[in-house]
Amino acid sequence: MRKSFCWSLEQGDLLPVILMAPAVLLVFCVLVVPLGFGLFLSFFDFGFGGFVPSRDFVGLKHYIAFFHDSTALRAVANTLAFSGLAILGDFILGTAAAVLIFQLSRRVAAIVRPLVTVPLLISPIVVGLIWRYMYDPRGLLYWLLGRVGITIDMFPGVTAASTALLSTVIAHWWQVVPFVVIVITAGLVSIPVELYEAAYVDGAGAFKSFWRITFPLLRDVYVVILLISGVDTIKVFDIVFALTGGGPNDSTVTMSIYAYSQGFSNSNLSYAMTISVVAMLVTFMVFGLPFIRHNRTRATR
Amino acid sequence: MVSKSKWWFRILRAAALAALLFWTLAPVYIVLSNSFRRTLDIKKMPPELVFKPILLHFQRLLELDDFLKYFINSIVISLSVTIITLGLGTLAAYGMKLFKTRMGERLSNFLLVGKLVPAITILIPLYVMLNRIHLTGTYLGPILAHAAMGLPFITWLMTSFVWDIPVETLESACIEGCSRMRTFWHIVFPMLTPALASAAILIMQSSWNELLFSLQLTNINTYPLTVGIARYVGAISVDWGKCSAAATMSMVPIIAAGFFMQKYLVAGMTAGAVKG
Repeated sequence: MRKSFCWSLEQGDLLPVILMAPAVLLVFCVLVVPLGFGLFLSFFDFGFGGFVPSRDFVGLKHYIAFFHDSTALRAVANTLAFSGLAILGDFILGTAAAVLIFQLSRRVAAIVRPLVTVPLLISPIVVGLIWRYMYDPRGLLYWLLGRVGITIDMFPGVTAASTALLSTVIAHWWQVVPFVVIVITAGLVSIPVELYEAAYVDGAGAFKSFWRITFPLLRDVYVVILLISGVDTIKVFDIVFALTGGGPNDSTVTMSIYAYSQGFSNSNLSYAMTISVVAMLVTFMVFGLPFIRHNRTRATR
Repeated sequence: MVSKSKWWFRILRAAALAALLFWTLAPVYIVLSNSFRRTLDIKKMPPELVFKPILLHFQRLLELDDFLKYFINSIVISLSVTIITLGLGTLAAYGMKLFKTRMGERLSNFLLVGKLVPAITILIPLYVMLNRIHLTGTYLGPILAHAAMGLPFITWLMTSFVWDIPVETLESACIEGCSRMRTFWHIVFPMLTPALASAAILIMQSSWNELLFSLQLTNINTYPLTVGIARYVGAISVDWGKCSAAATMSMVPIIAAGFFMQKYLVAGMTAGAVKG
């Protein structure tokens, strides 16, 4: 008797379920259960001293505290500012670099492309370290800026509240722009050359053909980059941790940084959990809904 | 397009390319080379391009700060994560393929929602839970965390590759009497080799480079490199020689792996973005 290859519920065939079970189980135990437990904790005053659910229940206390905590609100604002600036630069710099590399001859591009992807492979904590060295008053960056007459007083980098956030964003650009380059390059490859040739025959210049051909055809690619790197920027931790640790004057405190310091430096686990739940909600509101909608349209396509 | 441009445009483009390469590579070069410079020379501007390399910083790192142990820990953790994630992810992807309807594909798209959860939101409760059962400080914490955070994406990625294998190929194997597990080992698995390479380099670099989970779930005996490095950045006066050497130890292996597997890295990233 030949069995059908694909699963049918009526035959009681459990193989697909058995195949998926280990992965589902791991994700369930290590992602879903902690997530639920964390949500639960955020409604209690949890400490390591001992935990009695009936006694320690505090309801929405931590959530109310969150909205009265100026540092927490600062963290939300910083996170959104970081995210917005980061994505803007990723798009502009990434597109510029991708178009530039795309115009090179094949042989040169084969050398340039792997070199450009190097920052992507480096750990964000090391990226932070590298840029901490770059921003050192006696480091390479200020030496170079000094050549063109920019002193540390004009751009104080990570040491002043006014420029610290921008400085962390620059380090982020350095790491993430290569990712955008790779993705946009893949998009550029898919655009038929004939379109550009036709535009050239019609007398369109380089910029016009970019605006009228490349940009509209890459729209889907941009949406995906927006979602992927957008979600990652809301979660930003390592680069800020290495570069500024949240300072000076809370000017670079992001939600992940604030939750971490509340949880592990102040041992305020329940409040930290509350902050991280809010962080998740913010991620979800800003990027989650478009993300899901995008997936659904793709699935039905 | 190249031949049509004017001379000034070509010069402009060459300058832009030079700037791009400088911007990308100068920070890496400076930290790499600093790890071989004398402490005094590190602050010398402009940096000397020719200098006599020394190994003092690495020696201090290995002898005084136990970085060899951290290095080995990083390897243990990232290899375990890679094996677990690829194994479970590929099996799950094949399982989804076996569904008769498009339910498998929908399920795998649903998995991507996992990407929306910030690491910190999982870390705090996971830390409390692992602490309760006395498993913090072991390799298990970071391995489980990295694998679980990576699995949704890797499963999704593998599903998108498994999906490209025509059902007829599988069914003809079935007619010839191959069981479905044998079909998996003898037909599906070999066809997935490039996909596995893409998934492997992506998950390996994400585990090798991960900081946040490792920071809290490990202890002095199980610290990976990233945590060893993070302990330096907290210091008020940074020892740049030692820091640069530590950074070099962390980035050289993974950059080398990435270079070696460039094709697969790009394929994995663009599948994750262009297809999805």
